[in-house]
Amino acid sequence: MKKVTQMFTIVFAAAFALMYLTSYLNALHGYSGPDTLTIYNWGDYIDPYLIKEFERETGLKVIYQTFDSNEAMLTKIAHGGVTFDVVIPSDYAISKMKEQELLIPLDHSKLPNLKHIDARFLDLPFDEKNVYSIPYFWGTYGIIYNPEVITDIDFDSWDDLWDPRLQNQILLVDSAREVIGMGLNSLCYSLNDTDMDHLQQAKAKLDMLIPNIRAIVGDEIKMLLETEEAAVAVVWSGDASEIIGENDKFDYVIPKEGSNVWFDNMVIPTTAKNVEGAHQFINFMLDPENAAQNAEYVGYSTPNAEALRYLPEEITSDERFYPGSEITDKLEVYENLSKRMTAYYNELFLEFKMHRK
Amino acid sequence: MKKTGKLSVIYLVLVFIILYTPIFYLIYYSFNSGGSMHHFQEFTLDWYEEVFHDTRLFIILLNTLVVALLSSAISTIIGVAGALAITRMRSKRTRNALLTLNNVMIVSPDVIIGASFLILLTAIGVNLGFFSVLISHIAFSVPIVVLMVLPKLEEMSPTLVDAARDLGASSRDVLTKVVIPYISPGIFAGFFMALTYSLDDFAVTFFVTGGGFSTLSVEIYSLARRGISLTINALSTLIFLATLALVIGYYIITKRGSKPSGAEARE
Repeated sequence: MKKVTQMFTIVFAAAFALMYLTSYLNALHGYSGPDTLTIYNWGDYIDPYLIKEFERETGLKVIYQTFDSNEAMLTKIAHGGVTFDVVIPSDYAISKMKEQELLIPLDHSKLPNLKHIDARFLDLPFDEKNVYSIPYFWGTYGIIYNPEVITDIDFDSWDDLWDPRLQNQILLVDSAREVIGMGLNSLCYSLNDTDMDHLQQAKAKLDMLIPNIRAIVGDEIKMLLETEEAAVAVVWSGDASEIIGENDKFDYVIPKEGSNVWFDNMVIPTTAKNVEGAHQFINFMLDPENAAQNAEYVGYSTPNAEALRYLPEEITSDERFYPGSEITDKLEVYENLSKRMTAYYNELFLEFKMHRK
Repeated sequence: MKKTGKLSVIYLVLVFIILYTPIFYLIYYSFNSGGSMHHFQEFTLDWYEEVFHDTRLFIILLNTLVVALLSSAISTIIGVAGALAITRMRSKRTRNALLTLNNVMIVSPDVIIGASFLILLTAIGVNLGFFSVLISHIAFSVPIVVLMVLPKLEEMSPTLVDAARDLGASSRDVLTKVVIPYISPGIFAGFFMALTYSLDDFAVTFFVTGGGFSTLSVEIYSLARRGISLTINALSTLIFLATLALVIGYYIITKRGSKPSGAEARE
């Protein structure tokens, strides 16, 4: 008995000592005061220095929480019981959040820096007039390849992927919308096409791509390319810039037929307790210098036109990640499909995957 | 004494190599200045420095420890009480029914436990944070403790209790002086099992964290989306060394404790 009581005393004492230490540290760093702002963002998707700078400027204490998928984030917010003041979901997640009434309309008078955002990236189909959301980063979907291995093909079109010389070389991302969209794009149809005939044609065309496909994979695609396990892949530009940062042999192209353009956006969800602070934060991030610094840290493309002036020439002149309007005009945002159409896209994608070899 | 054959030694070494290679691989790259786990460039201690400077990560580590210690201690108390109650059941049917209910909690997937806790806690209006995590950790640890303590209780001869009673012990004395000392190995085992379960739980915690509160496993998981930073390697190395030190310390203490009883002389 003595031993058992001894152990429990030690355990409880240790636990409370640690708890005290935690609350001391929290208080020391201001994490537990009333003047806090909770940000819910993707992991490692902001320059930590900017958070410190924001804290210094406003006196607010930032609590930075991270999520790893839009779905996980949506579940947390829809269930309530949490405080998130600013969240950074992707475009299609915003449509869903709008439908479920999880967003607070933004007060544009509190966001004077909104004027710096490139007009090309405002008033988009997922949030017309930017009532709820402000773009944070954007990017495209295209082909990454290793010119040292693929010497004789000069990629500029989706059709290049169908080249018989690429047998068993291509990696695809395991995502219905992206792969079917690629099929539609290669036939010059819209990414949001709901015409059954067009979709069947796209599927038939994709089936012919199968001999060239090495694997359909998830997040490990970056690692496979960095270690040169494969020479060609179809990826999002964010991943592409990371891969190129890691292994500069690779090159990235946005096919000329057009492709998808995606946005991660700042929104204020209904779980917000510090709406005023949330506006301050969004405006702070829209400041050209801050946006430039963040873009340099994260490596994704900033929608902030003024920020480009603060970025090194070699980044902003890179047509791969900052394409001109002649290319962006051809890019499309994913529109929310009806439930039936989503199911049909998934079904086609499943058939495509099962059609393999 | 039978000598162990060469083949079994090789087998043993092989198994240990397979078990420990990933950990040493991770430790090796925690000293890499290259920033990724592909090419080892130069030796550096930068990642360790970053760990010590990152108070947020440190707070998360402390949170993880507090939750683990508190939840396993509380669930040990509840679990021991539960095991005692189960052995005292007269009817075999209720006893079996209770045991089955207990085991269902162990075999049901963490994801389901986590999701149901999320639904329950938000439905009754509990704010997600420290308490929601603590409560759910206690909930999944109790059945483990029960299972660890129960065999000890069943193995104990009822004559011990009868003898104590005959000598005039009150039921309180019987519990504290006979039963608990007898089952204490089971209690310790249950506590440590609960501790490890709580420390490495991801699925349940993932659902019920919120409001600035996070544990290590959840944090590492969200960081991994953009490739695991080598700070995670450094932190894992430190945790591995700390556990190693604990195990060695525990071993030395028990060895010293058992010396006077003459256990060593027999070796």
